[in-house]
Amino acid sequence: MKELDLLKKDWKRNENSFEQVSETEIYKMIHKKSSSIVKWILIISIIEFSLSTFLNILLSFTDIDENNTRFIKSLGIYNYYQGFTIFLYAAIIYFIVLFYKMYRQVSATDNTKLLMKNILRTRKTVHNYILFNLVTIAVFFIAFLTFGLKSALLHQTMENGKHLAEISNSIYIVSFLVIIAITALAIGIIWLFYRLLYGLLLRRLLLNYKELKKIDL
Amino acid sequence: MTENLEHSFVQQLQANQNIIHKICRLYTDCEDSHKDLFQEITIQLWKAFPKFRGESKFSTWAYRVALNTAITLYRKNKRTIATVEYESRQHFTKEIEYNYEEEEQIKLMYKAVYQLNDIEKALIFMYLEDKDYREIAETLGISEVNARVKMNRIKGKLKKILNP
Repeated sequence: MKELDLLKKDWKRNENSFEQVSETEIYKMIHKKSSSIVKWILIISIIEFSLSTFLNILLSFTDIDENNTRFIKSLGIYNYYQGFTIFLYAAIIYFIVLFYKMYRQVSATDNTKLLMKNILRTRKTVHNYILFNLVTIAVFFIAFLTFGLKSALLHQTMENGKHLAEISNSIYIVSFLVIIAITALAIGIIWLFYRLLYGLLLRRLLLNYKELKKIDL
Repeated sequence: MTENLEHSFVQQLQANQNIIHKICRLYTDCEDSHKDLFQEITIQLWKAFPKFRGESKFSTWAYRVALNTAITLYRKNKRTIATVEYESRQHFTKEIEYNYEEEEQIKLMYKAVYQLNDIEKALIFMYLEDKDYREIAETLGISEVNARVKMNRIKGKLKKILNP
């Protein structure tokens, strides 16, 4: 291609035409903070991890937790609940360790494709962590509301220890469905927010990664 | 120790800074972005420097980190749109012998290259820098054969942009 040769000639000719940056300026530059994508993912992730962990800890000091515990004990599933809590914390620690390990693997000296892959994997870990949290919250939410609703309904129809009327199955089913729909909507909105947040941040990287993968097809 | 490292880094970078400038020329569209990307590449190079063991030349190592920063790590606010003013300011500054037809062609060629995507620009950049296909493939993490195929496609694309 003739034009490309011309371009190369011009490229070489202008090789030394750049205004040179002095050593002092370089010294200053290396003490400035990076604003790379990886840095942003790290910052956002740390906020996410600490926020959810903080919320969990905070909840365990409040009335809500005490009430829940009392309620759970009354249902006779306290042991399961405790087991589940331990599992939950183990999972959170697992995610944080995984995230940290993957973050450490991201290196600008890798080849471009591998670097992109590592960044995307790191982000995916955070994504999975968020999803895991959301699902856990949803399960808790649905379970509590369902049990709560049932006992509330039973309580309302009771007078002097007697049931006034039978609650029909359809009421249960409808209220159960409403609870699920509300939960799904809430989770959906939060999930969308995350997609948007990371989507904006990683749009260009994803495009470039797809382009690189396409070359090797 | 850190001071020694810093000193050696700054000296080597200063001597090799044109590599970074050239990448900035391809990937940015105004002087501010040029400076911005230059700074980010410098930071990334410095961060990676302790791992640089001198197995390869500083320049070879810098190519990779700089390209990776431009394609992957750097967060630019807007997509690069070629502005003629910026391009023409950068070139044809030193030549005394003017060949106007050639000059026009080169100008158009720069404009065409600016329309390529980030990955295509990386291949063109390494081509302009006389890198062989093995090194291009290694830097980007693709196979040598596919790097060749892609390069031919880019040439085709450039032709199309020049002669629509």
